[in-house]
Amino acid sequence: MIIVTGASRGLGQAIAERLIEKGEDVIGLVRSVSGMILDAIECDISDYSSVKNASREVKRMKKPVKAFINAAGVASMNMAVTTDEATVQKLIQTNLVGTIYCCQLFAPIMLRQKHGSFINFSTIAVPLALKGESVYAASKAGVESFSRTFAREMADFNVRVNCIAPGPIRTDLLRGITDAQIEKITSQQVIPKQFQKSDVCDLVELLLDEKAASLSGQVLNVGGV
Amino acid sequence: MNIEKAKEIVISAINDALEGKAEITEEMQLIGGESLLDSMKLVEVCLALEDLADEHGFEFDWTSEAAMSKSRGMFRSVTALAEEFASQSEAK
Repeated sequence: MIIVTGASRGLGQAIAERLIEKGEDVIGLVRSVSGMILDAIECDISDYSSVKNASREVKRMKKPVKAFINAAGVASMNMAVTTDEATVQKLIQTNLVGTIYCCQLFAPIMLRQKHGSFINFSTIAVPLALKGESVYAASKAGVESFSRTFAREMADFNVRVNCIAPGPIRTDLLRGITDAQIEKITSQQVIPKQFQKSDVCDLVELLLDEKAASLSGQVLNVGGV
Repeated sequence: MNIEKAKEIVISAINDALEGKAEITEEMQLIGGESLLDSMKLVEVCLALEDLADEHGFEFDWTSEAAMSKSRGMFRSVTALAEEFASQSEAK
C-alpha cells in the first residue's frame, strides 16, 4: 500500500492517480473524504491527534506500507513583510510540522517492516531563494533539513527518505501567478522550462523503484539548480 | 496487568534485543548516555512490546508524549517502561 497526503487535488491527486494506474494500492489522507473516488482516510496533517488516528487506522489494516508520500501543502506568495501572522503559522504548521508528524507517526510501520520509502515535498524556491516566497521557502527548507536527518535515522531499518522539489507546476497553489512570473522563475533553472505534474509523477515512480535503492537523504530539484 | 508481570515482559523484550549479553536491572536507563540500548535496539524493544501487547489484547503506544520526554518519559528506566506498559494495558 502507498499512502499519499493531499490526494484530493493538485500534485497529491496526480501522484495518487498515477500510482493507481500502475497497479498500486493507494490510500489518500485528505481533510475531507467527501467526493473522494480513491480510498481515503480523513486526516488534517497539521493536527497531531488526527495524524495519529490515521496511523492507527492504517496499522490496523495490517498491510505492508511500501511508501508514504507527503504531498499535502499550502503556499503563499508574499514578501515576509506583507505576510500576516496567521499565514506564517499556517505555512509552517502544515508544510513543515505536518510533514514531521506524518513521518514520525507512520515511521514505526516501516521500521517494523524494515522496508519502505518516504517522499517529502520541497520547492525549487529553496535553492533559488525566490523573492516573494520567503516564508513558504522557509517552511520547505525545514522539510529538506528534516528529511536529510530523518533519512539517516531510518537508514538502519532499510527505510529511505527523499525530497522532490518542484518548480512552478500548474496547480491550485499557483492561483494568481502569471505566465510571465512563472517564466521568470523557470529561467533560473538548469533546464529553463515549466515542468508538469506528470514530470513530478515520473520522479515519484523513480524514487519508488528498487533501482533507486541507493538514494536516500536527497533532494531532487525539478528542472535543476 | 500488574506491574510485576509488565516488568517481566519488558525485561524479556530488552533481553532479546541485547541478545542476553547484559544484566538488566529495574533502574537501567533506556535512553541517553548510560543506556545499553542504541536507538535501533530501543525501537526493536518497542516493536516487540507492541507485539506482546497485541497478544494481551491491547495496543501499546510508544509514540506518546510521555514516551518522548526524557525527564518524565517511560524510557527513563525499565520500571518506568513497565509501569507505562501496565498502565496502557489497564486503559484498554
